[in-house]
Amino acid sequence: MNTATQSRTLPGQHADVVRPLGISFIVLAMMPLVILPLASIFIFGLSKGPVHFWDALMTPAALFSLKLSLMTSSVATACNVVFGLLAAYIMSKYRFKGGSALMIIISLPTAIPTAVAGFALLLVWGRSGLLGRFLEHTDYQIMFTTAAIILANIFVTFPLAFGVIKPALDNLDRSYEDASETMGATRWQTFRYVVLPSLRGAIVTGALLTFARSIGEFGSTIMVSGNLAMKTQTAPLYIFTKFNEGDIEGANALAAVLAIISFAIFSLILFTRSKLEQ
Amino acid sequence: MPQTRLSGLREFETFVEPKVEKKVALSVRDLSKWYGNEQILDNVSFSVAEGESLVLLGPSGSGKSTTLRLIAGLDTPDGGDVFLGGRHIEHLRARERNIGVIFQNYALFPRMTIADNIAFGLRIRGKGKKQRLDVVEKLLAMIGLSDQRNKYPAQLSGGQQQRVAIARALAYEPDLLLFDESFSALDPQTRTGLRREIRSLLRKLKVPALFITHDQEEAMELGDHIAILNKGRLEQIGTPQEVYNNPQTEFVATFLGAANVVELCRNDRFVALDCRQCLTQLPRELALDRVKIVFRPEDVLLSPALGLAEPHDHLGIGEVQDIAFTGATEIVKVKLQRLNPPSHPAALDCQPTPDQACDLIIKALRTKWEAQRVPLNPGESVSVWLRDHRVL
Repeated sequence: MNTATQSRTLPGQHADVVRPLGISFIVLAMMPLVILPLASIFIFGLSKGPVHFWDALMTPAALFSLKLSLMTSSVATACNVVFGLLAAYIMSKYRFKGGSALMIIISLPTAIPTAVAGFALLLVWGRSGLLGRFLEHTDYQIMFTTAAIILANIFVTFPLAFGVIKPALDNLDRSYEDASETMGATRWQTFRYVVLPSLRGAIVTGALLTFARSIGEFGSTIMVSGNLAMKTQTAPLYIFTKFNEGDIEGANALAAVLAIISFAIFSLILFTRSKLEQ
Repeated sequence: MPQTRLSGLREFETFVEPKVEKKVALSVRDLSKWYGNEQILDNVSFSVAEGESLVLLGPSGSGKSTTLRLIAGLDTPDGGDVFLGGRHIEHLRARERNIGVIFQNYALFPRMTIADNIAFGLRIRGKGKKQRLDVVEKLLAMIGLSDQRNKYPAQLSGGQQQRVAIARALAYEPDLLLFDESFSALDPQTRTGLRREIRSLLRKLKVPALFITHDQEEAMELGDHIAILNKGRLEQIGTPQEVYNNPQTEFVATFLGAANVVELCRNDRFVALDCRQCLTQLPRELALDRVKIVFRPEDVLLSPALGLAEPHDHLGIGEVQDIAFTGATEIVKVKLQRLNPPSHPAALDCQPTPDQACDLIIKALRTKWEAQRVPLNPGESVSVWLRDHRVL
């Protein structure tokens, strides 16, 4: 008798029902919660044909809001990555009094509701705000300008890059820096040639996370930007405004684009994790 | 090109060194270091001659790694001086000292190729691409990894990484090489092979080297001199033969190789194994002196208890407890029953104790031939003789 052709049931492994049931449960639960909403953006967006979708997307206001979102998010990302890198280097290298308090403060902004963050920024930079009052009689204004959107983005995404880079730095073996130093490198050269390349993966991941969070920012932006079309209206604000005006197609077209950008960033993060952080 | 060590590599094969007084390359004077209230190093002094190697040997926590970090400039001492080539380097930063360090985990930069790793020191020193390539080429050939130049450290075996680390440190012609437990992560076979390679390499290049290790076998093989550290203090420094054959302290004797230590009390007429017993038996007013005699297992000679006298010092009579066969040798554990302490010049005024009872275990190492000549069995009574011993 050929035992290899027999259906092999190992002892204690009769029909395992947990496996198929468990997987079905996960998929079923996610259907209404995640999968359907995401799919509907594309189903409805393209329901009247791609031409309609294209036209809705190509309006000047829609394009402007998309460009504004990309621009402000990029600037905020650049700022927070540079800050995150420096802060992570300092916090990881030196132990000082109040260090853990500073860590908490750096990490705080993500925990604060975005509307609160926007409101807080108004209290500082508004016309009679703590710092804003000094700007009142100058030509420079911060609130209700592009600068306000960038400030809001920076505030809300402040700890994201730091949060990714700091653990990577903590895990970096001190002996690399010691080795570099004994070989004659200055502190800057060590940072530039030894530390920075090792943080490549963390920096890219941190930047992508910051950017992804920035580009979808709504709560704080609507408080500080003024939501002026063609001036301070970012993509999420555009979607919200168009929907309120009853222009579902206009809202849907940009929503689909934002979703695609997010997918792209997410895939990039996964890719970076596996490729750069070996 | 200011190449002395590397370009002269070939000539050294036939070069016969003239016998001259060697100049001191590294000199450490009264080095001390505290961490909080704990003294890690206590006035440690030693020196390494030009072209020689010194091994700092000690258990973990003995302060040997701290010593290395202080010499490299990665840490600041609380007292003492470090001289390199006669130059006081205490005030110099690590990067200004021109010392090559081979770290325990090699610390090869993971994002640089092997070639870039080796060239790093020269790149930092602003050397041109041409010169960098030349040196890298030569060093890669020397360590036999020319075909691996574009690989990354993670793609190499431990032994290969070790070689790259050495090449990387040699590239900028350091005045001193420091090896921080550099062999502990390797498997035993690679370790022994690599040790020999490094030993002959250092002889050729004539770079003074300081090794840090807790492995006594490694210390014996690598060091022209061995310095034994214990709890931040330097116990003894000397050639491997000196420290093995003439240990100055019990710690040195037991840490460097196996050693039997027998503690004795003596005054002008009494010697005893157990000091407490000795104290109770002696009148209080008699001056008492503690003595330790130390001898290596291979210096122990065993003969049948009622046999002829051997031309060696007689330690006493014992009973064979256990025999462990290890191939070329066997280790015999003997329980001493009657003590007849050796007549050592320092112990001349001692009278042997008549049949002092004791239960001290002595280890004896016997070659295959000895074992065949005088076969022993557990439970058998033997006479214990010492071919050599030291009184501490």
